[in-house]
Amino acid sequence: MLKRSLSAMSSLLHLHRLKLAALLLAANLALLLHLAAGDLKPMAEWVWLDILGEGGSALLALAWLLLILKSRPAGRVSSLLALGLGCVFFSWWVDALDEFIRLPDSIAWDSWLESAPMPIGLLLMTVGLYHWHHEQLAISAQLEKRERLFREHRLFDKLTPLGAAEYLRRQLQLSLQHAGQAQPLSLVAVDLDNFSALNQRFGHAEGDAVLQAISQQLLLNLRCQDLLCRLAGDRFVVLLPNTGETLARQLAGELQQAVAHLAHKTRQHGERLHLRATVAVVMAVNEDPQTLLQRLNLALARAKQPLALSA
Amino acid sequence: MASKPAWYERDSRFIAAHQQPACLIDLCLSRGIDSHRLLRGTGLFHADILAGTTLISPEQFLLLIDNAQRLLDADDSSFLFGQRLLPGHHGAASQALALAGNLQQALELLGELRALLAPLFSPRLLLDEHYAYVYWLDSCGAGAQQRFLLEASMTAVVALARQLCGERLPWQFHFSHGQPRYVEQYWVHLGEDLHFNSPYNLLRLPRHYLTRALPQAALTTAVVACQQAREQLLASGPRASLLDCLQRWLLRHVREAPSLERAAEAFAMSPATLKRKLSKHATSYQQQHDQVRLQVALYLYQVKGYSNDQVASHLHFHDATNFRRSFKRWTGVPPSALRRWLTGEV
Repeated sequence: MLKRSLSAMSSLLHLHRLKLAALLLAANLALLLHLAAGDLKPMAEWVWLDILGEGGSALLALAWLLLILKSRPAGRVSSLLALGLGCVFFSWWVDALDEFIRLPDSIAWDSWLESAPMPIGLLLMTVGLYHWHHEQLAISAQLEKRERLFREHRLFDKLTPLGAAEYLRRQLQLSLQHAGQAQPLSLVAVDLDNFSALNQRFGHAEGDAVLQAISQQLLLNLRCQDLLCRLAGDRFVVLLPNTGETLARQLAGELQQAVAHLAHKTRQHGERLHLRATVAVVMAVNEDPQTLLQRLNLALARAKQPLALSA
Repeated sequence: MASKPAWYERDSRFIAAHQQPACLIDLCLSRGIDSHRLLRGTGLFHADILAGTTLISPEQFLLLIDNAQRLLDADDSSFLFGQRLLPGHHGAASQALALAGNLQQALELLGELRALLAPLFSPRLLLDEHYAYVYWLDSCGAGAQQRFLLEASMTAVVALARQLCGERLPWQFHFSHGQPRYVEQYWVHLGEDLHFNSPYNLLRLPRHYLTRALPQAALTTAVVACQQAREQLLASGPRASLLDCLQRWLLRHVREAPSLERAAEAFAMSPATLKRKLSKHATSYQQQHDQVRLQVALYLYQVKGYSNDQVASHLHFHDATNFRRSFKRWTGVPPSALRRWLTGEV
């Protein structure tokens, strides 16, 4: 899945080939027009500050445009942003050409060429950004139960579409500051049983697929204010805001059942896997995230091996 | 052809690229990493590895690990790599490991076949009355990859034991480094009984787990597989690294406090050559010597229950004060603090 999305990323620029070609053509035409109508300035007349300011601005606009095209699939918002930035780039480009080529005073079209695209571009970008805002709200809604309070892409898990341990720790830090007697906070750990045996028998690629399936299955069974993260390996942690221990236990039981009821089929032979999970619950009591997670971990170890650890 | 060397070094090419290195490459490929970027600087091509005849040196393997670690950019890389290592896909050696009669046989075999199964970090098994200990020796100068290799090696042994015994065993873990930021990876892939800032890196298991008969043991097949594995080892080259051989030699002569010159003579080279070879492995004679003396001191404290004076005189220190000072240099703590630590008071 990840592989596919990565190759999709690198091919995103291909989707916008036409837009880029049109922009290059326009920039070239402007250059040719200037060359045809005017004369090159000798180097002594170059004003370096202006060249740096206008040329640099044009280059930056081009860099923004490429970054936007490289990171977005084609669509209305992408087109608006690209067109807007394209106009801004064009305007600064013509501005920079003035520094090298002197046009006779009789020519008036150059100021049009320089000034007209700028307001149009800014207007298009404004409309684009407005729609982008709505698009972002829609995407955030899709990230429900996987993201709360803040976003940090460097803390995304590399395998499942969830936050990783560090994201969970920061979320806990924030939530624990708000949580008190009135607003209890609970954590549920969900750990697959015999996951290493599954990896051995069906291969690690199948194990990865199971983790991805489980993360979706768990998401489906959560309330919209909950947050699911992958702690490490086959261990997931759910952060339950405003939830006491009794309710957390009930939710943990539901998650355990959800895992048992997932009818995952292997990719090679379509064989049904019977999955089971062990769950553990802790409620936060005036402690830092690390201690809380440690307590959760020990609770899980006890749930896994009730005899070995009580001895 | 010249006579076979008695040990391998950092730049000896003897590791089959399609075995352990391939585990790491597959892990990276499954995460969408480009094979060219992964192999950059190693002088290897993916097609060569697929041919199944390429041998690489520890140096190249370490470079591969460095690249993989950087490109994977995830806290669980070493653990996922470790899970894939043992019994692995080394033909007879892996088969012998998987068919071992009990865990002790498996661990002893792992030590014997370390050039095949653990070429960069070699395991040692030590037994006392109650416990089995497995600790590691950096056999090729891992440098910055030491932590990665340690995590991978420990995970490999724990995963192997779990596979052989069919259950999670109550291992205790000691690490000389401090608790890492990503300690949850240790919880999930290793276990709960973790101790950081220890004087050594080791695994401990109650001894009775070692002698329990394993369900999948196949005596006759295992004997044959062992034999074939030994032939495989012989064919692949030396069975231990230079550092490994030096440490074993130092261990035998530890009571005589041998000098660099004596060691060089025993290894049939000039002191300057030995010095140069050791610095190639990012270590020095003094470091190796201290490491062995620390191992012996810890062994005497823990297993034999010696006092400070007894350990000092066993290692031929002039007096106990001198020994205490050296010990503090090796571990950062005086022997008294260590004794409290060993008896579990801290």
